[in-house]
Amino acid sequence: MSSMEKETQQQRSSLLQGTLDMLILRTLLYGPAHGHQIGKHIQRTTNDFLQMQHGSLYPALHRLEKRGWVTSKWETAPDRNREFKYYRLTEKGKKQLVVEESQWKQMAEAVARVMWPAAEES
Amino acid sequence: MRWWPGRKRNEDLERELRADLELEEEEQRASGVPAEEARYAALRAFGNTTLIREQTHEAWGWSQAERVLRDMRYAMRQLLRAPGFSVIAILILAIGIGATTAIFSLVNAVLLSPLPFPEPDRLVWASEQDHSLPGTAMDSLSYPNYFDWRADNHTLEGLASYRDGTVTMEIRGESQRLEARVVSANFFDVLRVAPLLGRDFRWEDEKAGNHTVMLSYAFWQQAFGSSREVVGKPIRIDGDNYTVAGVMPAGFQFPLDGAAPVLWKSIADDADGRSPATQQRGYDTLGVLGRLKPGVTVEQAKADLSVIAGNLAQRYPDSNKRLTSALVEPELEHLTGDTRGGLRLLFGAVFLVLLLVCANVAGLLLARGSRRSAEFALRTAIGASRGSLIRQLLLESLLLSLCGGLAGMGLGYGLLRVMLKYLPVEVPRISDAGMDVRVLGFVVLASLATGLSFGAFPAWRLSRSAPAAALRDGSRSVAGGKAQHRLHDGLVVAQTAIGMVLLIGAGLLMRSFVKILQVDPGFDAKHLLTFRVGVPFVPGRHDPHYLAYEQLLKRVAAIPGVEAVSAGWPLPMGNHSATVSFNIQGRPVALGDEPDAAVGIAMPGYFETMRIPLIAGRSLGEQDGLSGPPTIVVNQAFAKKYFPNESPIGHRMQVRMGDDVFEHPVREIVGVVGDVRTKALTADAEPQYFLPYAQAVVTNPYVVVRARGDVSGLLPAVRAAVHDVDNSVPVYEASTMEATLANAAARPRFQTYLLTCFAGIALLLAAMGLYGLLSYMVAQRTVEIGVRMALGAQRAGVLAMIVQRGLLLAGLGVGSGVAVFAMLTRLIAGMLFQVRATDPLTMAGMAGLLLVVSIAASCVPAYRAARLDPMRILREQ
Repeated sequence: MSSMEKETQQQRSSLLQGTLDMLILRTLLYGPAHGHQIGKHIQRTTNDFLQMQHGSLYPALHRLEKRGWVTSKWETAPDRNREFKYYRLTEKGKKQLVVEESQWKQMAEAVARVMWPAAEES
Repeated sequence: MRWWPGRKRNEDLERELRADLELEEEEQRASGVPAEEARYAALRAFGNTTLIREQTHEAWGWSQAERVLRDMRYAMRQLLRAPGFSVIAILILAIGIGATTAIFSLVNAVLLSPLPFPEPDRLVWASEQDHSLPGTAMDSLSYPNYFDWRADNHTLEGLASYRDGTVTMEIRGESQRLEARVVSANFFDVLRVAPLLGRDFRWEDEKAGNHTVMLSYAFWQQAFGSSREVVGKPIRIDGDNYTVAGVMPAGFQFPLDGAAPVLWKSIADDADGRSPATQQRGYDTLGVLGRLKPGVTVEQAKADLSVIAGNLAQRYPDSNKRLTSALVEPELEHLTGDTRGGLRLLFGAVFLVLLLVCANVAGLLLARGSRRSAEFALRTAIGASRGSLIRQLLLESLLLSLCGGLAGMGLGYGLLRVMLKYLPVEVPRISDAGMDVRVLGFVVLASLATGLSFGAFPAWRLSRSAPAAALRDGSRSVAGGKAQHRLHDGLVVAQTAIGMVLLIGAGLLMRSFVKILQVDPGFDAKHLLTFRVGVPFVPGRHDPHYLAYEQLLKRVAAIPGVEAVSAGWPLPMGNHSATVSFNIQGRPVALGDEPDAAVGIAMPGYFETMRIPLIAGRSLGEQDGLSGPPTIVVNQAFAKKYFPNESPIGHRMQVRMGDDVFEHPVREIVGVVGDVRTKALTADAEPQYFLPYAQAVVTNPYVVVRARGDVSGLLPAVRAAVHDVDNSVPVYEASTMEATLANAAARPRFQTYLLTCFAGIALLLAAMGLYGLLSYMVAQRTVEIGVRMALGAQRAGVLAMIVQRGLLLAGLGVGSGVAVFAMLTRLIAGMLFQVRATDPLTMAGMAGLLLVVSIAASCVPAYRAARLDPMRILREQ
């Protein structure tokens, strides 16, 4: 039953969803990029630590676009003679990035305090 | 938020994925992967593309339309997956919705449709109210009273009069008797319908001698070949010249009940003669129709006319003393007055059938839902909200009910055709019943309401099942739990109760109908042929008219197979009646206080031919002729009322009726005859007296022919005999007395048949509901039953357990049905004849029937349970 599989998948992906959104927004801070570039960039910068399948980017990208944090446009790539769908950060997206970044920082600090209490004391 | 049409958005996504995938493939190749492998590597790096697509769709969010479509598709799949269930449910729904639709289309045509005239809400029917007879409306006004009402009122734009009448006309060489109306000059104007051709009636058309007629469209086509020449020209009616004022548009008719007239005469017709009807204040023949001034209420008009009636009662006590006020009703209400009760009863009954159908299908859904509990549990476990489950289940119900509605519409149309065929014809406007916009709207609404109501309970119930328990138990053993069983039990009890209500109703109507058929009408209807002949009469010259009748009867009597022949008026159940005031000599009363009684007219041998028994004195014979002494015969009811302690024979009375020759003579009572039910089989005979026709030539009486055997073949011979005497005399209103009686019982017969049909459906459905519940119960408790039997329970015990359960539920249903019916007796009491609405025999009989059927319905699943093999069940567990 396809509807059920769908729902299970949705559960699994929801954990990483917030983080992925933030990474995409941060990547786009450098300038417009298409899906493949964004994926490659995240993979490269994390030294292949986040070995995501590029495909999982697209639902996230479309979700961000629906929320108005990014816009998209078909443009010809400068190095190839082909059109790609370029995503561009909006003002709303920039604000959202700040919000998510601070939330992530709080989260990371909170986790750190639990994990390494000694470091906190010293 | 951007909303792209789905297809364009999909294409865009495909293009994006392709572009990026190709790029990945190129990069893989660039990094040294062989060409043929690069593609697969790229796909691997990308991941499951189908999943990506689906997840992206999710990210877009479902538009409302897409969601409904998706749910619809899913619901459709669910219905197709269980075709047996779906077909049965749709069939049951179709029966319920179909029956309801058919009855609604009758109600719609008769009660709800507005009258076919401009601003119909302002049309009112008016009449006088006799203060000594509260609750009975006088049907008619006299001309002088009508003229005063018309002139003196302040609340009506117009007040028109109309009365029945027939005319004799020669059409294509054959003399015919045709329906006509005599109407006031403003009749068409009050109805706001202008003639299609020619001119409307004018006030001067009401003056004596100005014989004017308006033709109906159909008659104009048929008799005059749609010739425009006829307007303004004279035509021959009843041997006189009438000027054709115009032609009314096609379909115009008023009043809407009764036969459509071929023409309308102006009231100049009633202004002729020595003592014209237009000057007799005591001669009530007119129906009146008013149009309210804008903003005036019915109550205001009633008060206004009552003041006039009060004044007239004071001014003319001889004729108006008791007519002290007026009655005013909206015309539509008056028209549908006596059909409303019957139609309401039928609609109520059919509504109960629909409720039963809802409960029945809800039970089916509940049982089926239990089988799907694992599915619901799984969906809940992985995150489906309760709301979405309910939405899904309701959508399935709605889909079912819409399919049922579609099938029901077809069924309803068929049912309507059949009903219209067997309908009592006298219900006004009923032949217009059909499928119009309002009926279609009703079907859609009924389907939606049905779907929601039968879907709501199961949806609410099923969506509450705890997923963990349901998943663990699977669909095999107890799923749903106690509450669900209680709901299911409740549904079955409700069905039985509704079935019981309908059965009692049908039973009562049936008993009442049998009583009606057993009524002794007071005469022998077998082998009687009745008809009228249009023998013309000239005011003041009765001899030729009466002699023509004598000659005619003699001729008919000579026909082989004829046992006896005579003539009289009115015919029992013939929809004619007249009451005339009288006084008994030696009991002086003021003129205005004189009592009324029904008047009848008889030729010699009438009572013998009709086989109306002679109780005392003598019958009317040849001696009561044109030259004999004035005589009169009364019926038993009359004798009982006015001569309770003595024989009426030899008393003398004066009847206030004249025919220009015999003017109010004092008559001697010479005989008493048995009572005849004249108005309806269910109405007690009223006091009535009979005048010898020779001494009261007022209308063409009915010729009654008693045949020795079958009467149906006699009419041609009779027609020939009449035309042998006078070729210009038309024979009309020919019928057999048995047909007239059957027609008198047509309405109760129709109601009884229909309600019995509904009750039968209800019985079947209630039994099906019980059967379904018990079968389901047996299936659910298979293991328990197996264990019981393994531990030594007898098969008979198992059987008894199930049947007992069924009987308990049926008993509860029967009990509540009786209780509900007790509250509804008021609705049916008026339809019953000689049967009380609380008739214990009917209740007991119907309860017995329902219980027997319930036991039968319980036995099948009980037998199945008793035949279970405990070893196999326990092994399989």
